[in-house]
Amino acid sequence: MTAWLARRITQAVVTFGVAVALMFVLMRLAPGDPLSRMQEDRMMDPAEIAKTRAIFKLDQPIHRQFAAFVKGVLRGDLGLSIEHGLPVNTLLASRIGPTLLLGGATILLNFTLGLWLGVRQAVRRGSREDRTLTALSLAGYATPSFWLGLVLAWLVGIKLHWLPVAGMQSPLLAPDAPWLARAADIGAHLVLPALTLSIVTIAGTMRYQRAALLEVLRLPYIGTARAKGIPERAVIWRHAWRNALFPVITLFGLWLPLLVTGAVFVEMVFAWPGLGSLAAGAALGRDYPLVMGTALLAAGLVVTASLLTDVAYALLDPRVRYT
Amino acid sequence: MNPVVDALARSWRDPRGRAGAIMLGAIAAGAAVGPIFLPDPLAQPCVLECRNLAPSWAHPFGTDDLSRDILSRVATGGRISLAVATLAVGLSVTLGAAMGLVAGYWGGTVDAGLMRLVDAALAIPRLFLLLLVLAVWDQVPMPVLIVLIGVTGWFGTGRLVRGEALRLREESYVRAAEALGANRRRIIFRHLLPNTAGPLLVAATLGVGDVILLEAGLSFLGLGVPLPTPSWGGMILDAKSLLFTAPWAGIFPGLAIVMTVLSANLFGDALRDAVDPRGA
Amino acid sequence: MPWTAHLVLAAAVAGVVAARPPCAVAQQEPSSIVIVTGQQATLPVPTLMEGPQATLANNEISDHLFLRLAAIGPELVTSGDRGFQPQLARSWSRRDSLTLVFELDPRARWHDGAPVTARDVTFTLKRAQDRSIAPRLASVTARIARVEAEGDRRVVFRFREVYSEQLYDATFHVPILPAHLLDGLGPSSSAWSAFAGRPVGSGPYRWVRREEGQFIELAANHDFFLGRPGIERVIVRVAVSSDARINLLLAGEADAMDNIPPPTTNLARVEAAPSLRLVPVPSNILGYLLFNQREPGHRDRPHPILADRDVRRALIMALDRDLLIRAVLGPYGHVPFGPVSSQLWIRHGAPRHSRQDQSTARRLLAGRGWVDRNGDGIRENRDGAPLSLRLLVSSSSVARGQMAAIIQEQVRQVGVHVDVVRVEPAVWIERRTSGDFDIDFSSANLDPSPSGLAYSWSCGGPGNVGGYCDPGADSLLQLATASPKADRGLWHSFLRRVEENSPAAFLYAQTFVFAVNRRFREVSIRPVSSWSALWRWPPPGS
Repeated sequence: MTAWLARRITQAVVTFGVAVALMFVLMRLAPGDPLSRMQEDRMMDPAEIAKTRAIFKLDQPIHRQFAAFVKGVLRGDLGLSIEHGLPVNTLLASRIGPTLLLGGATILLNFTLGLWLGVRQAVRRGSREDRTLTALSLAGYATPSFWLGLVLAWLVGIKLHWLPVAGMQSPLLAPDAPWLARAADIGAHLVLPALTLSIVTIAGTMRYQRAALLEVLRLPYIGTARAKGIPERAVIWRHAWRNALFPVITLFGLWLPLLVTGAVFVEMVFAWPGLGSLAAGAALGRDYPLVMGTALLAAGLVVTASLLTDVAYALLDPRVRYT
Repeated sequence: MNPVVDALARSWRDPRGRAGAIMLGAIAAGAAVGPIFLPDPLAQPCVLECRNLAPSWAHPFGTDDLSRDILSRVATGGRISLAVATLAVGLSVTLGAAMGLVAGYWGGTVDAGLMRLVDAALAIPRLFLLLLVLAVWDQVPMPVLIVLIGVTGWFGTGRLVRGEALRLREESYVRAAEALGANRRRIIFRHLLPNTAGPLLVAATLGVGDVILLEAGLSFLGLGVPLPTPSWGGMILDAKSLLFTAPWAGIFPGLAIVMTVLSANLFGDALRDAVDPRGA
Repeated sequence: MPWTAHLVLAAAVAGVVAARPPCAVAQQEPSSIVIVTGQQATLPVPTLMEGPQATLANNEISDHLFLRLAAIGPELVTSGDRGFQPQLARSWSRRDSLTLVFELDPRARWHDGAPVTARDVTFTLKRAQDRSIAPRLASVTARIARVEAEGDRRVVFRFREVYSEQLYDATFHVPILPAHLLDGLGPSSSAWSAFAGRPVGSGPYRWVRREEGQFIELAANHDFFLGRPGIERVIVRVAVSSDARINLLLAGEADAMDNIPPPTTNLARVEAAPSLRLVPVPSNILGYLLFNQREPGHRDRPHPILADRDVRRALIMALDRDLLIRAVLGPYGHVPFGPVSSQLWIRHGAPRHSRQDQSTARRLLAGRGWVDRNGDGIRENRDGAPLSLRLLVSSSSVARGQMAAIIQEQVRQVGVHVDVVRVEPAVWIERRTSGDFDIDFSSANLDPSPSGLAYSWSCGGPGNVGGYCDPGADSLLQLATASPKADRGLWHSFLRRVEENSPAAFLYAQTFVFAVNRRFREVSIRPVSSWSALWRWPPPGS
């Protein structure tokens, strides 16, 4: 196991490096120019364009730029964002908190509720409840997140005035207010985006959990367990569920990175200061340093999540051989 | 009897399967034949006076912000959206199943190689890959679009199937088959594939909705269907600004997607039971 | 399923309880305004707003903090010495046609209490004219030869040549920086980051804090020498998506919003809210269809279809531009005569634009050999090549996408086929700049000065990507720019000449629509620098 783990970690590091290098090249090959946004806004003096290119080293050959990038990464310096004019490190640092908050809340809601409902559906398979939940969750899944977000914001925020419609904190709340007031403020802002993200993603967890549990429930050993007179609840949760966790763990590994950087639409609709909208804006504006900063983070998450998935497989089913 | 035909026949006998198949058929037929009888989906008869009209006899689904008939647009848009959805999802699920089974069952270097490829692919946002395509094509032809979506969409499915295969190959019946000298192909097709049908069909059903919306998102990059041609996803994106003034502009294409996903799911459930070697 | 209902209810109740405290706080603070905007201000400091930092968002924050010598007047006349209002300079006069003298207001103070002196002006102008620091400012202030202090309160500007916009160039481009805080920092911009993180100016508001990605807070400068601001706190909130901005406004979490973007459905929602008032403001946005007169990919060859002036005119005639505006912008825009935004002072008294005339369009096309020869509804030339063009549109703008669909339909009625090629903004700019288009749906942010028209509408202009050239029009433009007085007649003859050449179909000069909560009774929003009169607003409810 230790040898396997060491090998697996080496693989992860190599994959990470290759992915980041590939992204660097892809971004430079893609059409479009990092200075395009400033050209769209106003008239440009050629001298100004030339100077800006020189500042961001865009006038150098790509291998030089890559070498400079790698050197910077090793020093822990990701450079200056072209569009924001701030260090990429500062930008990422200020966005990571809100991102983890929203992603964490969503994953929590999605997996606790999704697993429970999925199991319920599998157990009562074919019942009216099963069919209704299927229809509802799939309808939620097929609804575009920006749509659901806008409707929720309109209903809960504008019509009912229950919750704030956008942002992460009220700008009118003094920064030296008691921490409880500030936490409540952030919590109130968090509800709608987290709810939106959970509703549009929960169908995935529910469907996979339901399908996996159904597969397991047909296996002969379940019949044996039932025949032995073990209570149904124990059969389901102790015997079957454990074996039906594989796809769910995989799903968790797939969604962990997605929820951190992939909530672009929801972040936009709710003006949540997260990484997703930052990354999307950077990619569309070809803000190379910021693109690479967010890409580095995303790639790290994907590779780590995949590693954790494999470890979880091994822990969950000791029979799984790693050769 | 051919096992595929057999499975299809068995799912048809299942009431869920029949309902799903009939609904899918009706949607497809509406998209194929409907536009012949409906007004021109591109015509803008009177831009100022008859835009954003609520549903009525003349326009059962209402009109959009350029006075175009939404019913004809939903019907015409169905052609593209259904084609993209079925073909691209078919491609990505097939690829995902193949790669996942091979990686999970073979294990070792094959597994490590394939899964690191998946990791790398998942680490690179789709956007980057698609931007590159933009550098090559000015207007992307439909088949290329479908292949693009399919080929960049199998990674998650691949990993799910591989996880299942990892577990299944330790099951006693697979071990037994191995001991009896069954070859790998037989084990994969006879034992592993049917038992991963559950997650695969879930991936396919969920994929249908994803792909229709993805196609619309691509048109933002200039990669989707060219502008005046309607597609469900495109209509929903365009209707974003009409959500509160003319909600029907987005609700009807949205309902079309939900109906498609639901009927695909119904049919998929029946199909899964039909392929189950142990019977339901 | 009662348990699902319980869950939703529980979540909602938890939300309501949590939402209470911020609401209560909002009611205790009457004297503040929350403005929501689409772009974040990153470096709102004069002479640092260069390159990618030369954004509207930076300008707007900078204008709360820093003052100019003089401000451009409400008529936005950039020529001559009349149309300006005193700011840091109490008055100005001429020694001769090349020399302007400014007398500083002795009451002017920096936020740290130090007086504003002539040295601040010379220091700022020296930085602005340094190409290695501020290439953009250096090029727009290139005609200023020298700036000298005479004592603490008098500054003398010497110009290289006689022209009508000397005062404009001396005052508009560069707000003044505090030399006593910055002189020792050296020229490099990294040494400035501390100052940029907490800028000190002389304007009506001073810096309080910034929450990255969320908002910037400013507070009233009680010692402001032109008068104490009525509103105590200004909060500029950022929401990239216009949907989020409109939601904040409708929910009462923001008091004001700049530029509600078209289409008209957005405007209708805000208009329907009883608590909000719409304020139209002239904008610098000009939308036009630029015809490429050079073949895409071969810039040395004329365009096979659009090099022909009659074809270009036929395309313009085929369009119903008034309908286009009413459908997408509603009442907030008009068809311009020539490349003129609704902010440019030369638009007054200009001729009317030509109306849609499809029969003339058809006649013009037939006269140039474009006839529908195979009955498919699209015209062909004698060789059978169809009259088919690609219209390049940026996918970032909903309004332009909508207009493109209407345009496509309008020109189809005269037998012209148009493919709409919608691409993301970065690619759009690249293709536009390299001339890779037949027709480009351009949207330009024009200077308040008409001399900027040379950028796109003269033979050698750096922004002339369509290959348009008319030396006659160029000399008219030069004459109008050099005239020492504000001469509308000269400008109009230039515009007439451009319209005759038809290098583009000028579609719309947009009017921005701001929204402000009605609890603010007296509201004035200025073009060019929207919130520069905010400090004069009385506090809400008074």
